[in-house]
Formats: sequence, structure tokens, C-alpha cells
Amino acid sequence: MQILYTGLSMGAIYGLVAMAYAVVFYVTRVINFATGELLMLSVMVTTGLVQAHLPVGVAVLVALASSTATGAVIYFLAVRPVLNFDRFSFAWLVSTLGVGILLESMAGLIWGTTALGFPSMLYGRSVRFLGGSITWQQIMTIIVAVVLAAGIELFRTRTFAGKLGMAVSSDPETASAMGVSTARYAVFVFALGGLLAGTAGVLVGPISFANPYLGETYGIYGFVALMIGGIENPAASMAGGLVLGVLVTLAGTYINTLASDWFPFVVVALALLITPNGIFMSGGALRKAFARKTVPRPRLPAEQAL
Amino acid sequence: MNSVIVTQQPAGNAGGRPDVAATARRTIWAPSLIAYVLCMFFLAHSSAYHQGLLLVAAAYAMLALSLDLVAGTTGLYSLGHAGLFAIGAYGTAVLAERDHWSVFAALPVVVVAGAISGLLIGALSLRVSGLYFAITTLIFTIIVTVLVSNMSITGGYEGLSSPTFPSFSRSITSVVGSSLTWAVAGCLLLTIVVVWSIRSSAMYPVLLAIRDSERFASSVGVRTSLTKILLFGLSAAIAGLAGWAFCFLGFITPSQFDATASINVLVMVIVGGLNTRLGPIVGAAFVGLFPVVVSINSLWQEVIYGSIFIIVIVFFPEGFVGVVSRGGRWLLSRWSQRTDANVQPVGTGAPVLTPARNYVPLLRPALAGPVGGNGAAPAIEAAKAARGEPLLRPDRAQLGGVDGVTPALSAQAISFSYGGGVRVLDDVDLVVRRSTVHGLIGPNGSGKTTLVDILSGALFPETGTITINGHRAERLPSWQRADLGLMRTFQTAAMVGELSARDNVTIGLFNRYRRIGLRSPAWPMIPSARHDSRTMAASAMEALGAVGVRPSWARTRIADVPHGVEQLTQLATACVGRPSILILDEPLAGLSSDEVDQVATILNALRGSGVTTLIIEHQTRFIFDVCDEVTVLAAGQLVKSGSAAEVRVDTRVREVYLGQ
Repeated sequence: MQILYTGLSMGAIYGLVAMAYAVVFYVTRVINFATGELLMLSVMVTTGLVQAHLPVGVAVLVALASSTATGAVIYFLAVRPVLNFDRFSFAWLVSTLGVGILLESMAGLIWGTTALGFPSMLYGRSVRFLGGSITWQQIMTIIVAVVLAAGIELFRTRTFAGKLGMAVSSDPETASAMGVSTARYAVFVFALGGLLAGTAGVLVGPISFANPYLGETYGIYGFVALMIGGIENPAASMAGGLVLGVLVTLAGTYINTLASDWFPFVVVALALLITPNGIFMSGGALRKAFARKTVPRPRLPAEQAL
Repeated sequence: MNSVIVTQQPAGNAGGRPDVAATARRTIWAPSLIAYVLCMFFLAHSSAYHQGLLLVAAAYAMLALSLDLVAGTTGLYSLGHAGLFAIGAYGTAVLAERDHWSVFAALPVVVVAGAISGLLIGALSLRVSGLYFAITTLIFTIIVTVLVSNMSITGGYEGLSSPTFPSFSRSITSVVGSSLTWAVAGCLLLTIVVVWSIRSSAMYPVLLAIRDSERFASSVGVRTSLTKILLFGLSAAIAGLAGWAFCFLGFITPSQFDATASINVLVMVIVGGLNTRLGPIVGAAFVGLFPVVVSINSLWQEVIYGSIFIIVIVFFPEGFVGVVSRGGRWLLSRWSQRTDANVQPVGTGAPVLTPARNYVPLLRPALAGPVGGNGAAPAIEAAKAARGEPLLRPDRAQLGGVDGVTPALSAQAISFSYGGGVRVLDDVDLVVRRSTVHGLIGPNGSGKTTLVDILSGALFPETGTITINGHRAERLPSWQRADLGLMRTFQTAAMVGELSARDNVTIGLFNRYRRIGLRSPAWPMIPSARHDSRTMAASAMEALGAVGVRPSWARTRIADVPHGVEQLTQLATACVGRPSILILDEPLAGLSSDEVDQVATILNALRGSGVTTLIIEHQTRFIFDVCDEVTVLAAGQLVKSGSAAEVRVDTRVREVYLGQ
């Protein structure tokens, strides 16, 4: 039970980062490789402001705002010019990686490269629940993650604005001909991605402490979670995060501490071999085996171009 | 490194005006080689510091070239190359240090090990594509990194020291310099020769076709899956070679081969210029040398490094070399337009319009009048004179001595549904008699294109049989049907946008020449291959002439030509391989009335020379004028099949299709 709690709360963090990737991808077909650094940014900003004797609540709000804003800036600075040139090119890989390197090294210049303490928030207090102890922070992390995942999924599939996002991703030209501002939508999802990554940062800060290299670690784990869950669907990527979190904790406990470095990747490799589009995706083999037969979805142009 | 002119065009010389870039390449290779050897000579004598620096960059250049070979040409964005690189480097280090092998004995072992891993990864590409291929290969790299970090024979996280490379004897060293430099230089040269040879071979357009339109490639007879796997194997072998060279250049640790390293290689390729000759080399030199050349506070260095990524990609999305070659192409097109204007006046006294509007007068009436009439087309005549045989006649070998009674193409009781849903075709029969033009008409959604896809092998029927030139074919893949003499065109654009019309047409010749793929890694060095390049280009120009595409359009990128020219180019691509059966899917869509007349003339000429044509079209006047027989489909069922006159007056056909 203890393992499950730890795993789920870590998985919720990975899932939030994975969702930050996924909300951006489902609209723009771009993977924002600076997502991990947005998480790092919110951790560093919170720490910096608390050190400057601001209340924790204010610091957290400013941190979330800064990572949200940075998300939007990334779109204008590094993604829009590339997509304007060629919507199907892979060049955003380089420019978003560049932003990631830039953010990481600037954070190093501003706050130094040694780990700083992070306000402990709700970590001190824990409760016993179903034969394991769980901190309020962990409970909050899981609740926030699940609520955000459910909210985004409802927005995406049940509201008109959310469905517009799918329209923008499958055919930007037609969508903009119908009067959708594709650019505004893209800014919105980049900002939302920033907010999700920032939220993950604030939630993970108390256990990760603050250093500029957090972005790389959580960026990679979030990305693996994304691969497990499936890239098209933010809620599925959250599920991927939870699965990954539990797997990492199990491997760390039952195999050896180093196993948590490689075990998740082996799982992902197997998962991808079985269901190339992610475990929880509608196109996945598991779903297909149980679902009634339907007409296959035509491949999107962006997928063919990749 | 060398000043070779980089263009997107493969080698080969069109009939008519010589290709400037090809000529430049032919004359420049010897001086480039001498310059390369001289540079290496100086490097071999320079300080150990400079040698180490540049040789590491050279090893990365090999790795980047190998990645571009699969990513740039076939669109397989592999992130597994750092893993393959690790196999080469660790394999050599372990064999040499632990098992005391000679480093030269280890070389073939690690290259083959890389190639085998590459073949396995390449086979993955059949299951996952695009981004998922990138991710799956990234996981391969991660697994390799985890293995070498945790195994004792690879030294764990500390890594291994580099094996010693045997040096020349003292007297030789004083003359030629360090042996290691020459070894790495030789590996790089070999890599460049192989990669650039493939880029200049007749295989290059075919690879781009696999990347941009796999169904087009397989419709001309390319075994696309096998090609991708083998190409990946070759790329992986080069990555293994790069690893072999790399392991002599310093301590090797797992972090040099991890996921970040894999992404870095892709970054090198993109920053330098994807799918260019020099791009990967320039990119590798930039990424490899940057931290050394700009040596300041490491954090500031990273800031600059990240900024350069953003600036290069935002302002030059095609990479360093892409910008240069785009400029070069622009100059070249300016120059060729001017010379063309001098040689062939545009139109007949008509005002000069923009090319997009003015393509009709540019189309030569190549096939004026039916074949056998006294007004035989000048282009056909010229072609006959050139080859001693009619251009558009089917290859006799493909007919296989079939008598005139057997239908060229027949399908019996074909049923099909997409994913087990609605029946798209229900028990449809179709018989296309030899040397006829057969029309296939029906309302939208009646299953015409599905039927054609089934005939050409893009889809497989649930029930029913197909016979092509007397051979049972319902289970054969596309490429084998192409071998039986069947070629097709597609309703939507299916050509390689970045290649010229002429190079696109050469793709249609793929199964007319032997071992194009096997010869491609040494293409320019093989006399027969150079000869084939020339004849392919000439045949392509001939075919384009025969369908009425002007030579200046033939050298223009397909992405830049008007729609009519693109459609006619597709027709030329299908015809150039001299098929005995031709399937045209709405070849008239978007053509002007002059061009429609042009196509009618071509179809008549094809029939006259024994080719069987099946054509889907909506212009009923065209169908009933040109076709001998017509089949009508509606809602997946056969409505009527018979002679054009019969079908035209049939009341049910009038009801379901003509709306009368």
C-alpha cells in the first residue's frame, strides 16, 4: 500500500508533465521539449521568492504565472516561426530543445547550480489510510492531477472549444477557413502546458528540492509517461504517468535502487511493441481487440510527415 | 569540408541542355579529393589537441551522415543512432582491451553487429511510423546505455579507456603523420562516398518516393519494406564504423551515448540541413567544435549554444546548408529561365503570363492525331527514331505470349469492406479486354477507387479473384503486380514535390533496370550505373515529351509546377516503364479542355500500340468518346458493363449516374 501511495503521487507528477506535452501536441502536433524546464522554472521561482521572504502562497501564484507566460513565449519565440515556414518539418525539435538549454543555463546563472531548499508545504503531516501512511501533500498531488486530467478531458471531448482543438490539429487550413484563430489556440495550449508543468513543479518541489537540472529528469520521465499513455490524449497520458510512477517505485523497491533507472524504459519498449500508439489510446491494439469493429481513422497529414 | 555544389537534384544528364550542377560535380570531385587529402595531411602533422578535436568532429560527422541517410531520404527519424554508435565504440574497446583482439579484426565485427541491430530496428519501422518510430528507437538507445552502465565488462558508469591504435613506424610517421588521423579520415571518406553515391544514384528519387508517398513507390515495383530495412542496416553499419573510429579518441563513458546524445545527432543534421550532402558534416562540426571554440563560463556557453539553436532554426529552418542551396537553386532557376527564353519563345505571340496561368500554350501538341493516321506526332516519331521502336508500346516480355483472347485484366466476384464495416464493393466483376480503353464510371462513393486499389494491390479483396495478363494476382503485393506489367496513377497528388518532373518520371523506370538498390552505394563509380542514369534521364525526357510536357517544366520541381503539368507527369511516370496495363484514376481532374484533348490523343495512341487502359473518370463525354467499353458502378454494385454505345443508352445507367 505504501508503495502504491508513493508510486501514485510520483506518477501524478509525471502525468502532469506528460499532460503538458499532450495538450500542446493534440492541437499543434509539436512536442515542446522545454516542458521539463517549465517545471524547473516554477520550482526555482517559488524558492527564490520564498527566500526573498514573500508568503508561500504568493510565491506559488507568481511561479505558476511565470511558467504559464513562458509557455506562451516559447510558442512565439521558437515554434511559430518554424511552423510558418513548414508545418510538417521537424525543426521545432531543435528550437524547443534550444529553449530548454537556454532556460536551464539561465536558471543556473541566476540561482546557482547547487540544490536549494523548497518550502515543505503539506509534507510534514501524514495520515494512515488503508494500511499505509500518506502525506497530505501526496494526497493533494493526486487529487490535483486527477481533477486536472478529468477537466481537460471533459473540455477536450465535451465542449465545442475543445473539439475545435482537434479540428485545428487535423487540418489547420480548414479550421482557420472556418473562422478559428489557430494561432490564438496554439498560444492557449502552450500557456496551458506551461501551467500544467508549473503545477507539477510546485507539487514536486518539497521532495525534489530546487536545482536547475530538475527539468531534464522530469522532462524525460514525463515523456516516457506520455509514451506509455499515448500522445494524442491528455487524460491517457495522465494514466500513463500513474502507471509509470507505480512501476518506478516497484522496481526501486523489489529489484534494486538502480532498477528504477532502466525498468520503466523496458516497460515502455514492451508497451510500444504491443500497442504502437500507446496503451490507453483508442487506436491501441488492446482497445481494438475489445472494441467493435469500426472504420479506421484516416491518417493525419502531420503523422505522415513525421 | 569541400566546396562541392550542393543541389537537391541527383546526377544524370537530361536530353538537351546539360545539367549545370551535375557538370560542376563531375569536374570538381578530383580537386575536392586532393584538397581533402591535403587537409588530412596537415591535420596528421598538427598537435594532438587539434587532432583530437577535429577527429571527434569527424566521427560525429560520420554518425550524422548515417542518420541523414535514413532520416533525410526515407523519413525514418531514428533516435537509436547513439545506441548503434555505442555498439561500435564499446564493442571495439571490449574486444581490444579485454580479449586482446587487433583493432582491425574488431572493425568488421562491430560494423556487422551494428548492421544486424540496424536491420532489427529497421524492421520495427514496419510496425511504428513517424514520431513513434523516433520514440521506439530512442528506447533502444536507452536500453543500450543502461546495459553499458550496469555491466562490469563495459566498466559501468566509469567507462573504458580507449584501446591503443597501432602507429606507423617512426620513419613513416615523420613523413605522413599520425596513423589514427589517416584511419579516421579514411572512414569519413568512405562514409561520404557511400552516402553521396546513394544520393546521386537512381535510387535516391525512389527513396524520396518511399518517404513522401509509399503507395506510389510500391506501385512502380519497389519493395518498400525491404528497402527501408536494408537502408537502415547500411546506416547502422556506418554508425558502427563511426563508433569504431570514436573509441580511439579518448575515454568512453555511457553518457556519450545516451538519449541526449541521440537527440544531439538529430540536432546536428537539422541544424546543418536535413537531406543535403554537406548539412550533416557542417552540423556535426558546429555541434562538436562549439564547446571548444567558445570556451567561457560553461553556463554562459550553454546560453549561447541554446540561443544559436533557436536563431538558426527560426531564421533558417532548412539549416545552414539548406539556405545556401536554396540561394543556389534560385540563381540556377533564374539562369535557366533566361536561357530557355532565348532558345524557345514562350507561346505563339501570346502575352507572357505568369507560369501558373500560362501552362496551356506551353504544352506541345505532341500527339497530333491518332497513331496510324498521316499526322503522326513529331515527338513519337522522334522517339521511334531514337530507339528504333515505338515509345508507348508495351514490353513484349511482360505479355508472356498471351493470346489475344485472354483478357488483360479481369476481376471476378470482388467483395470488400473497410475494417469490416459497410460493404464498399459487393460481388463486382470486371473484365478489361486487351488493347482497349475501358472506362469505369459511377457516382461518388460507388467504390471505383477502391476497386482500382484492389486491382493494383494497395488493398486486398475479402473474396474474389484477380487475373493480370493470365497470372492469378489477388494475393500479390503491389510491387509484384508492377512486375506483371501493371502501372497506375493516383487521384490525389502522389509525387515527390522536391524533385523535378524528370526525376519523378525516372522512378517509374525502377523495375526496368536491374539492381538499382544494390548498385547505389557505389553508383558514380560503376560505368554501367552511370550509363543507366543517362538512359533513364533520356527516357524520362522522352516520356514527358510524349505526354506534352515542355522540357523547361521537366527540370522544375514538381512542387512548383501547375496542376496540369503534375497530372501529365504522373501519366508519363506510369507510361515510361512501358506497362501492358495502365490504370488511370481521374487523370482529367483539374485539367483544362486543351489538356483533356491531349490525354484523349495519348490514350488513342496507347491503344494503337497495344496497351490496355482502365480509366476512372467523371467527364462522361470524354468516357463515351474515348472508351471502347464502360463499366458502371453504383453503391458498390455492378450496374452495367458493355460497349460504350450500349452503356450510354442503358436506362438504369441513365438513372443512377447520368441523373436522367
